[in-house]
Amino acid sequence: MSNLILQVQLLLAALSAFLPFVPEAQRTRAAAFLDLAAQALAAGSAVASNIDDLAKKLAAVRADVEAMAANGHAMTEAEMDAALARVRSASMAFRAALAEAG
Amino acid sequence: MIKPLRVLALALALAAAPACASLPLGQTRIENPIAAARTLDQRAYALLHAYAAIVEEATDIVRDPAAPVAFKRALSQAERAATPAAETLGIAVRAYVQARADFEAASGETQPALQRAATAMTIAAQRLSEALAAAETPIAELEGMVRAHRG
Repeated sequence: MSNLILQVQLLLAALSAFLPFVPEAQRTRAAAFLDLAAQALAAGSAVASNIDDLAKKLAAVRADVEAMAANGHAMTEAEMDAALARVRSASMAFRAALAEAG
Repeated sequence: MIKPLRVLALALALAAAPACASLPLGQTRIENPIAAARTLDQRAYALLHAYAAIVEEATDIVRDPAAPVAFKRALSQAERAATPAAETLGIAVRAYVQARADFEAASGETQPALQRAATAMTIAAQRLSEALAAAETPIAELEGMVRAHRG
């Protein structure tokens, strides 16, 4: 259970890394939002997630980037478009799941 | 509460700081793809893919009926703020890649054309650099939060 909590906090923290991009007025809400998440986690309810899945995905991205760095590879527009498309696809699936969850 | 906040600080540092190569969580090691990047565009590429992987995992959490509603709501707020930011980063890096291609194509052109392309690439690189640097800002903010909670 503690591993699940750690994983969820990892996800939340990583999501928070993007908050500085938003206007400062909204950014200041990060503390409240993190507190809320901490309270939810502290309640100890079951949160089904798989830390191994995330670890594998991030390791795959790292291996990809390591190979690019070793070869001095310059990113192409197609590669950046694919990365952004993955973000958009993940976001759409996330929001759809939220809608289904009510 | 202190331990989770420590992990939160470490995790955020991992997500945003290129200096952190990985984070051990129990027996699992979470790699930081951004640490492997050597150039601005590689770093942006790593950040976008890492973010997508995180959202994919967050989706699984949201689909779990046992997950706390308050936590799902918090994830929703974070995603709504973060995804537009990721798209902004994507636009910045795409502009940089295009400017760099224009510069390389202009290498055989006249001096003014080459100068224009070089200027455009410099501007695009600066904008991309700023977008990436902005992602590292919350580390200091979070450290302050952790200290406040400890106090």
